[in-house]
Amino acid sequence: MESRLLKPILAVYVGLFLLFLYGPFIVLGILSFQQGPEGGPQFPIQEWSVFWYKHILGLAPPSRVSPLPIGISLTRSLTLAGMTMVTSTVLGVMAAQAFRRNFKGKSAAFYLIVLGMIVPGVLVGLGSALVATTTGLERHWYSTAFATHVVYTLPFAFLVMLAIFNRFDASVEEAAWSLGVPPATTFRKVTFPLIFPGVLSAMLFAFTLSYDEFSRTLFSSGREQTLPLAIYSTFAVEIHPNVFAFGVLTTLFSFALLTVYAILMTLSVRRAKRVAIQEAV
Amino acid sequence: MTATEIIVEAADATPPRSTRSVGAYLLIAPAIVWMTLFLVVPMAMIVYVSFWTQTTFKIEPKLTLDSWQTFFSSSTYISSLWTTVRIWLTVLAMTFLVGYPTALFVGLFVKNKTLQTTLLVLCVIPFWTSFLIRVLAWRPMLGKEGAINILLMKAGIIQQPIEALLFTDLSVVIGMTQIYVVFMVGPIAFMLGRIDPNILEAARDLGAGFWRILRKIIFPLSLPGVVVGAIFVSVMVLGEFATSAALSGRKVNLLGNIIVTQVGSLKWALASVVGVILTFIMGVVIAGLLRIVDLKKEL
Repeated sequence: MESRLLKPILAVYVGLFLLFLYGPFIVLGILSFQQGPEGGPQFPIQEWSVFWYKHILGLAPPSRVSPLPIGISLTRSLTLAGMTMVTSTVLGVMAAQAFRRNFKGKSAAFYLIVLGMIVPGVLVGLGSALVATTTGLERHWYSTAFATHVVYTLPFAFLVMLAIFNRFDASVEEAAWSLGVPPATTFRKVTFPLIFPGVLSAMLFAFTLSYDEFSRTLFSSGREQTLPLAIYSTFAVEIHPNVFAFGVLTTLFSFALLTVYAILMTLSVRRAKRVAIQEAV
Repeated sequence: MTATEIIVEAADATPPRSTRSVGAYLLIAPAIVWMTLFLVVPMAMIVYVSFWTQTTFKIEPKLTLDSWQTFFSSSTYISSLWTTVRIWLTVLAMTFLVGYPTALFVGLFVKNKTLQTTLLVLCVIPFWTSFLIRVLAWRPMLGKEGAINILLMKAGIIQQPIEALLFTDLSVVIGMTQIYVVFMVGPIAFMLGRIDPNILEAARDLGAGFWRILRKIIFPLSLPGVVVGAIFVSVMVLGEFATSAALSGRKVNLLGNIIVTQVGSLKWALASVVGVILTFIMGVVIAGLLRIVDLKKEL
């Protein structure tokens, strides 16, 4: 039978596919240990060293390679990602909560929100830059860029919460209401703990999308650069292995973030289980 | 993907309660206001400004077709329009060709749920690295002294390094394929995973060979996934400018790159014209793709 032969062939193919996905990154990781400051961003490795990591952290002696402007732009990016995360999660939860009921214009509202993740960043960035210039507003990462970031991340938070509410058992809320608990308290004590895993996912989405976003930021952030913009500006000039070292560090940071998410997720699931067991007893 | 499904189910689950719809409006209002102010108004502004008068550093709200004429009478801009279409079609075809076998394996051949999830997670992990770093990572791969050339020369396949690998159309296509292929794999694998194995078995029992089953059953059933994947890839590739800037040495100028250069020299009106054209192309592409299958019915 052909398909018996096909499966191992496809398995090998998927292995090659994964190599295609990861290959550049492995090469980048290796080259980040290039000797510095003379070693260039290519093979062969002249001598293994952590020079470029020191260079990133500002510990290397001054050389002809100027350091990446990371410190301040990292702070900006983290602050912006935090602001975006809180805003889009709050708005997303509210919008999804509204979608549990019927109202006129529901599907129009749905398409309007989802549009935010479809329209390419370069257009949203251009549009908000135009609005800012014609109205004489100054562009900053914490104002115009923040607004466009939420336009991008809100749909993700909204869709995650829609999926969560879709599987949500409304009878627990109704039980609370019928016992005379006011709606606000019901939301805080009953609904929110139940949807918390979804809220965490929405927050993770919003934070990482905003942290890495740059095509929207490029036109809308004004003169003060966020981290992705600082990296983008190195595109124009000669690249050095310090960008690679930075890539490795930023990946480690992402994984740290994922780990925190996984821990919080496990804790909240475990707590939900414990509550369920207590109720059963 | 399941968006329409969600709406329909949400609508079914909650009976209409007119007394509480006021509350629904209050809850949805902030999101609607935000999207209107910061998405709809800016997009409308792009259309509007494309008809404004451009002076050296300023734009004035005197309506004119000048910028449109500039765009369509310049061979540079027209050729970047064709480059965009060419790169988009190539990347779309590549993501499909490279991604479909992977989706086939993950969605149809792997029966073990854990292995299936592991493979999908492996596909998603690269997204946890900065997009720009991933683009940049192709430079030491493809360069004249890059990893691929070194490997090929060591293996004795080539004597001279291939210079055409970096700073060409090819490098842009390779880079974009790697970055966007996962958006093709995901939806297709999802659709393939929903195929009832009994149908395939029935076809086999009736004597159909694998290729015939693939052509007559598997592919048609996976088509909604292909369309969703194609929409994702198209929208992202058409709005691209960073990959081409980093991997083509400014030789490949997409419409996105034109927008970036024009904004850089404060030519807002011309940038807007390009923006409107890009939006128009995207609308046509999405509408065209949606005609292939009725997603509302299929998902």
